[in-house]
Amino acid sequence: MLFNSIDFAIFLPIVFVLYWFVAQKNLKLQNFLIVVVSYVFYGWWDWRFLSLIIFSTLVDYVIGVLLSKEEHAIKRKLYIGISIVVNLGFLGFFKYYNFFLDNFITAFSFFGQSISSSGLNIILPVGISFYTFQTLSYSIDVYRKKLEPTKDFIAFSAFVCFFPQLVAGPIERASHLLPQFYKKRRFEYEKAVEGVKLIVWGLFKKVVVADNCAFFANKIFENPEIFSSGELILGMVFFAFQIYGDFSGYSDIAIGVSKLFGFDLMTNFKFPYLSRDIGEFWRCWHISLSTWFRDYLYIPLGGSKGTLTKTLINVFIIFVVSGFWHGANWTFIFWGFFHAILFLPLLLLNVNKNNSGSKSYKFKDFFKIAITFCLVCIGWVFFRADTISVAFQYLIHLFELKSLGFSLFYKSNANLMIFILSIMAILILIIQELIWVINKKDLPIISAFGAFVLVLLIFFMGSFKNQMDFIYFQF
Amino acid sequence: MKKFLIKITIYTFLILLLSNGMALISLYFIGKSNLYKPQFLKNGVKENHFDYIVLGSSTGLTTLDTKKIDEILNTKGLNISMDDSSLNSHYLMLQYFYALGKKTKTLVLAITPWDVANKTPKLNNNDYRFLSEINQDLVFEYFSEIETEFIPILQTSKFLPILGVSYYNNELFYPSLFTVLKPQKRNRFDEKGNYSYPNLGGPIQSKLSITELKFKNPYFQKIKQFCHTHGITLVLYQSPLYKNSVNTDSKDYFINHSNFISADSLFYDNLHVNSIGRAKCSEDFAVQFNSILYANHK
Repeated sequence: MLFNSIDFAIFLPIVFVLYWFVAQKNLKLQNFLIVVVSYVFYGWWDWRFLSLIIFSTLVDYVIGVLLSKEEHAIKRKLYIGISIVVNLGFLGFFKYYNFFLDNFITAFSFFGQSISSSGLNIILPVGISFYTFQTLSYSIDVYRKKLEPTKDFIAFSAFVCFFPQLVAGPIERASHLLPQFYKKRRFEYEKAVEGVKLIVWGLFKKVVVADNCAFFANKIFENPEIFSSGELILGMVFFAFQIYGDFSGYSDIAIGVSKLFGFDLMTNFKFPYLSRDIGEFWRCWHISLSTWFRDYLYIPLGGSKGTLTKTLINVFIIFVVSGFWHGANWTFIFWGFFHAILFLPLLLLNVNKNNSGSKSYKFKDFFKIAITFCLVCIGWVFFRADTISVAFQYLIHLFELKSLGFSLFYKSNANLMIFILSIMAILILIIQELIWVINKKDLPIISAFGAFVLVLLIFFMGSFKNQMDFIYFQF
Repeated sequence: MKKFLIKITIYTFLILLLSNGMALISLYFIGKSNLYKPQFLKNGVKENHFDYIVLGSSTGLTTLDTKKIDEILNTKGLNISMDDSSLNSHYLMLQYFYALGKKTKTLVLAITPWDVANKTPKLNNNDYRFLSEINQDLVFEYFSEIETEFIPILQTSKFLPILGVSYYNNELFYPSLFTVLKPQKRNRFDEKGNYSYPNLGGPIQSKLSITELKFKNPYFQKIKQFCHTHGITLVLYQSPLYKNSVNTDSKDYFINHSNFISADSLFYDNLHVNSIGRAKCSEDFAVQFNSILYANHK
């Protein structure tokens, strides 16, 4: 079920009424309701894959219980090993099986050997990367004794499949979200209002910004060789705003919907395109994933505590793995590698934390923001292109600057209209975020009137006819 | 909770009120303009009696030039074809034409093989152009019949116009702002309803083929029945198809231009002629059509 669908517009009020009016007095019933409606929400795409979520839930619940009873180090390692193998096994099979098979065959043919094997027609279960990481965080935290294992199976199931963030995050930590299922939830007016405003803001980012920008980004990335340098530049910028509006919009809606049910999810985006360097960008972009990798991969690898070489290797591992998490394609791996390269100077000069903390800008910072944005945009070309060579061709053609024509954007009335709408949407987004940042806000603060205007903008500027799926569903 | 629900209700009500008000105003201005074919027929066409009308999709719109045909035959014709449409939309357009009090002696129905063979007609991409006329029963009934979605957007727009105007905001809302300033503006057709593709492009090479027309579309029978009821002579017209010849055993009048021209230079793409191809087709059509007119009306 898509957040920006009529199905969801009907689903949400029904669940809200059941949750607050029917199940209000019984915490277990509320949690059970969350499990049921989350399965309905997920099963709307493909009910067959519910079995994966249920199996994953069962495995990690049992592992948690076993870990709580076991003090023997080897057995504890065995239990956590089972959890990791099962979770990553599913992820590996559904997401990476064909990728590894193809590359294995290619590698053999490189050495003059030929083997024949046909790939499997595997459908990627929506959101598998997200809920896998979420359940893994539980098992690992229990293993590390940072978290008490739960004995409440319904609460644990609700934590794994909580519908607002089930398919595209934020990837929650068990230590943050799971305890919220133990506490009695009371309806809080302020929280619910804040939730509604976030939902509206998220919908604006998705339907107005992302889906309008997608119209041109998709056209240009489908056949980059036929477009001028000017069109390629704008195609790249449009994709940057498409993916930002799409993904951060989803996160905002997820956080907003959770608030309606009395839950707090972690912040996933903090105005990343207003970052002054790549380090700051990564502290503001997909925060739940970056911190997951930091806590469960970077720090266990030694983090920055060893030699500079060791730290550099760890940074490269984190970025490449993070890229690979996005999809079974070399383009994502290269995208991660590209960001690692961008991060390198900050690390070598030991200035990677210079722009951490609250954002307060001086005039010269806007120059840094522009440069960072350009670098991030170049990275998006690798992320979006079908292959690495196509991405390089795109960039070569772009930097040739042979023609700066923009005829694509005005060759028909419809194109011109969507172009104007896309530019207006981007401007509204950036100006609004700039105002928040200048006022030292880390999160969107929207007035009632602002939300009212946003709804009207969604109606009259939204791209409903050219509606796109959320990009991050495929990850 | 009570406060929250009251506020949500008030805001929802205000938003619906304002957005529907804006949508209604938008549809009002579209309805007063000549922008699309339905509005053009209502506001831009003053005459009520025609010797013939051309009805079809983009092939009818861009192949038969009613100005040229009228020059040759000294007749009064009008092209009411609409691009990106099919027989179900044509039937609606024909009904709408008559509902406006207009009449024709002959209907030239520009068909395509795949459209007449289609057993399950669906909503067409440009059917939204009738939205400003949704208060007419025939338009509403058409949307009710043809829309099969869980929430039928165009049909529901009769009660919540924001649904249709928002869904088609690029096609309805923004053009409506334009029509406030220029109500006489027509969207890609002349004062006789014709449009021509430029002498650009060309066909994509394909193999020669022959297609037998199979009349399975239920709306084709509806159009025939409508013509029979209103005493209209029905003439089927097949426009040129690049390297494709169309045959039929239909007993209706049939002017077949499917393989009338073959030079690449006369095509805009495989389904449409360019302006030179249009002139050739219109001239030959006039000759063949004249004999039909003579047999029926003179």
